[in-house]
Amino acid sequence: MIHMLRICFLAFSLLIAPGVLAQVVIVAGARSPLPELTLDQAEQFYLGRAHTLPDGSVVTLADLPPGSIRDQFYQQLTRKNPSQIRAHWSRMVFTGRALPPQQAESMAQLRQWLASQPNLIGYMPAADADGRVKVLLRLP
Amino acid sequence: MSVTRLLRRCAAMIFTAVAAAPAHADTDVSPHPPRFELSGFGTLGAVTTDDKDVWFTRYGVNYPGAKDPDFSPDSLAGIQGSLRLTPYNDITLQGLVREDGGASQNPQLTLAFFRQTLAPGLSVRVGRVRVPFFMLSDSLYVNYANPWVRPPVEVYGLNPFNDLDGIDFIYNARVGTFDMEVHPYYGGGRIPFYQGKARLKEALGLNLGLSRGDFSLHLGHGEGTFTLERGDALFAAVSNILLRTGQGRVIADLSGTHGRTSFDSVGVQWDDGSWQLVGEYARRKTNRYAASAHGWYLSLGKRFGAVMPYVVVARQTLDEQFAEAKLPPGRLAALWDLFLVSRNNAQHSLTLGARWELAAYAAIKAEVTQTRPDDDSWGSYAPRVDAQTPIGGRTLNTFSLSLDVSF
Repeated sequence: MIHMLRICFLAFSLLIAPGVLAQVVIVAGARSPLPELTLDQAEQFYLGRAHTLPDGSVVTLADLPPGSIRDQFYQQLTRKNPSQIRAHWSRMVFTGRALPPQQAESMAQLRQWLASQPNLIGYMPAADADGRVKVLLRLP
Repeated sequence: MSVTRLLRRCAAMIFTAVAAAPAHADTDVSPHPPRFELSGFGTLGAVTTDDKDVWFTRYGVNYPGAKDPDFSPDSLAGIQGSLRLTPYNDITLQGLVREDGGASQNPQLTLAFFRQTLAPGLSVRVGRVRVPFFMLSDSLYVNYANPWVRPPVEVYGLNPFNDLDGIDFIYNARVGTFDMEVHPYYGGGRIPFYQGKARLKEALGLNLGLSRGDFSLHLGHGEGTFTLERGDALFAAVSNILLRTGQGRVIADLSGTHGRTSFDSVGVQWDDGSWQLVGEYARRKTNRYAASAHGWYLSLGKRFGAVMPYVVVARQTLDEQFAEAKLPPGRLAALWDLFLVSRNNAQHSLTLGARWELAAYAAIKAEVTQTRPDDDSWGSYAPRVDAQTPIGGRTLNTFSLSLDVSF
């Protein structure tokens, strides 16, 4: 009986796993001149260690509101959990090393910002990345 | 006009401008520059020691307490405003309210700089930044970012300096599989402490940070000149004795304007999201006015959901006292010994604590620390009433509780 329950639990976990871990993509506005990013570049930006591309152009960052997409994004990109990321950014901001990403209130506001500022990047579930945005990096 | 006064005036102007336009600040959600950002951090912390004839004290940070439990070692509130002028430059100001070593609670201007991006990965900051002598020095008061109630005093008590008025460069680059940060700095600053004044001058240093995945390494070296002009009663009494015993030249090693100092540190951090290991070794060398000493700590924590219990072992060792005198045995020699012992913070300690993530950007921490100051040291303690109270060699248990926020 226990064995059967275990198999059922495993099957259930596999079924719901794709829903929990939706692929996240890093995006810019559809008309943004920003090139595709490497995983390293994106990690440097979202850890506040860099804010320019090799050609000198500045990249500004947007965050989604706190929640599962944001947590999953940072976990996948930086391998840091939410409390590690909050501690990291507190240190970066209050030592004056970096300015924090600007937090959008909603996906709609993020889209609006992306459309109006070519050098802004954000992230969203791949399923939400339609023709209004340009995908710069797909997280594994 | 001194740099400090100039910085204070700039800060007052910008904070006034911010206060006069709160609606703008609150609604400025556009990511376009110019953009203003306001953030803050704070700690409400209480400390008590089981033996009621001594105070726990962070020398150079707070003044020995007046109430038990004492809220002065850790409690503080900081607010920071950054104005992004263009994508390539910004102005940042940070104000901090906490008790300082002079028992004052006046607001302090802790950051006030203009930053310019010079090239990809390279920026320069001009104005006031934090002294970055050790691994966590420039985030010493951002307690939310640290796992403990406070960074171990055995290492961080070695550096009493806070502000660096000057210039620094921060260069970030990827070297192979490592992220590297190179951080040279130059400047000086003042330290407030009770019945005296001190200045750090012509401080020049270089920090190197390397990180890869869960691991990071810090290497730092800084050196400079400093002044330390004492005005306390014990110093006055000791000076008098030295003059009367024909050793007036020794006074020049106790207080004055011709000190040289250097700081070295090596730190490592490893954090895989479950286990957290932090260790650091630091050394202070001086030619006079303050003792040369070194310290280290090793901290290990393990996260269980929102709670992280941790254990810290730490040690500070005296390398060399800053003055020698030959006094006849008896009351005069005892007073001289008391003067030196009260300026020695050597001790070892064992801390057991836990951090609880109360909410996003709020953490509660509780610690119990068993400390044994060296026989010839006050460690991180001060007598409550009688300066003759023996502290060295005792075992003291200190309890700390704090709430940290960051917003």
